[in-house]
Amino acid sequence: MNWQCTLVACLITAACFAQQEKEPPRSSEPAIAARPSEQDKARAAVKAPALNVSEQEAAKAAVAFLDWAGASTAGQREEIRRMLEQASQYKAVAAAFCDEANRTAESDFTRSLLALSVLGEMRSPVGTNCFQKFLHRPLPEKGIVANGENVEQTKLAMLQAKAVDGLAYLRTAATDREVLWAVGKHPSRIVRAEAIEAYLWNHKDSKEARTTLLKYVQPKERVFVDRVRRDPAEEATVFNRKLTAFLKAHPEAVAPAPKRIEQKGEAAKPPKEDEPPVR
Amino acid sequence: MTNSWKVKLAVCLTVLFSAVAMSANCNQTTASQADKDLWNTHGCWQEFFLWQYQAYDMRGSDWGSRGWNDACNVNKEYPKHWNASYLLTYGLQDNWQFSFHGTVDYRGTAERWDNQFHDDLYHTATDDTSIFGSFSTHFFGPNEVKTSCLLYDPNLATNANPGSRAGDFNHEGWHGWMDKYNWDNGSCGGHRCGTPGNCTAKDACDYFYFHGIGAYAFGAMWENNGTASRFHSPNQVQVEFLCDVADYPQSWVPNSVRLAAKSDANTRASTRFINGPGYFCGDPRPW
Repeated sequence: MNWQCTLVACLITAACFAQQEKEPPRSSEPAIAARPSEQDKARAAVKAPALNVSEQEAAKAAVAFLDWAGASTAGQREEIRRMLEQASQYKAVAAAFCDEANRTAESDFTRSLLALSVLGEMRSPVGTNCFQKFLHRPLPEKGIVANGENVEQTKLAMLQAKAVDGLAYLRTAATDREVLWAVGKHPSRIVRAEAIEAYLWNHKDSKEARTTLLKYVQPKERVFVDRVRRDPAEEATVFNRKLTAFLKAHPEAVAPAPKRIEQKGEAAKPPKEDEPPVR
Repeated sequence: MTNSWKVKLAVCLTVLFSAVAMSANCNQTTASQADKDLWNTHGCWQEFFLWQYQAYDMRGSDWGSRGWNDACNVNKEYPKHWNASYLLTYGLQDNWQFSFHGTVDYRGTAERWDNQFHDDLYHTATDDTSIFGSFSTHFFGPNEVKTSCLLYDPNLATNANPGSRAGDFNHEGWHGWMDKYNWDNGSCGGHRCGTPGNCTAKDACDYFYFHGIGAYAFGAMWENNGTASRFHSPNQVQVEFLCDVADYPQSWVPNSVRLAAKSDANTRASTRFINGPGYFCGDPRPW
């Protein structure tokens, strides 16, 4: 009779699953009555933690600032830029941002990216060394491969791309040399592409900058120098004009016509050529 | 034991086996800063997730071990799924002078209902880390959008953030569009095989069908004219969504979410297109 007991257990499990199928998700936490929009104002009013602190307090202040900056809103972008510009000489804080970027590079890409962004915007001399070290870290050879992509390589390369942004924004001869090295020699396309864009933008998209870049860029990647940038402040007409010019200069960038799925049993099309197929 | 009883027993054992197989292995003890920052903008809005699970046709039997009964715990997969839906549903400015597409397009692509974007679909999760996500057609019942642990566990990949996750809902949903209208986007999981042209992501390559701002009215992203002048590929829809999050979000969207979306958009635009690169979103200023 053991099989009958098993059967009963199975039926109970199946019934539980059928019940679970219909159950809505739930939480033991009390429901929040206020709508999210009602809390926006209060959140935007949270003051930024000070960066003007003693060396001993720098690490703590940097962590608190990153917590705040991550949660800060799109509307506070310019305010944060001003604060970071004023903090450019706070070397201990800049070093703490670098430490945080390194500490979280494996465990939380978004936090590490945030730390590199903040450090880059500071234009601190501490950033030069930090970004250089980041940029030259070897890409991991092993790791999870998903949809043709080594995700650990991608993770580091995306952070290195942000480090390149920081180097280019420092706009010194030495940091420009690093950026141009990355344009031609970095093993990741992600970093090379960002370096091209960062060099151009920081040199006001000048003709000279394009000429310089073309000396370094890999032959197959020359099209990246002409890439269309979606500048957030730019109106549709301006962007559309740029896009039209790009496609005119690069007809190879126009995709071929999409294809329908071929129906099974459809007659094969005869070749257009007069010659027989090559054996 | 009679044959009919043996059959019944086999069915029951299959159910049991499925239940065991459904237990999650994905790390559910942590969340990325971007997930936490977005979460804090709603503080676990129950009214929303009670709508969301229906809008995405999510089922307790698929998500039971992934935070279905702990829906306010941002470390779990189901809460992260609805956190991404929250961004997709409310987070865009929808400015017709600037945005590539509108919320109506992205919602139409990601949500369950049979519409001009796709046939019915439902959302599940998988521990398979050889994919970010997948779209599968089912002969009976709705089609399936799976999202992988890589979109939830910040220790594994960059994509474990709300923008990238919502971007994947659009990517997989767009395979549904390809299926609905019988378009052939390639035989490697619905993409071109190998690394043709300027694409470096093996077996995950698409074409970029460039279009200007305002080329599509909001709600018209599903349209095509059978030529490259009015068409989208899955990776392209994802890039355009991520660009819209990064550059034209609602004023309350956290900066950590925007930064991660921008980084994903530009990485994808540089690596996944045969005729690439796609557009560069925003400028390369660090902040």
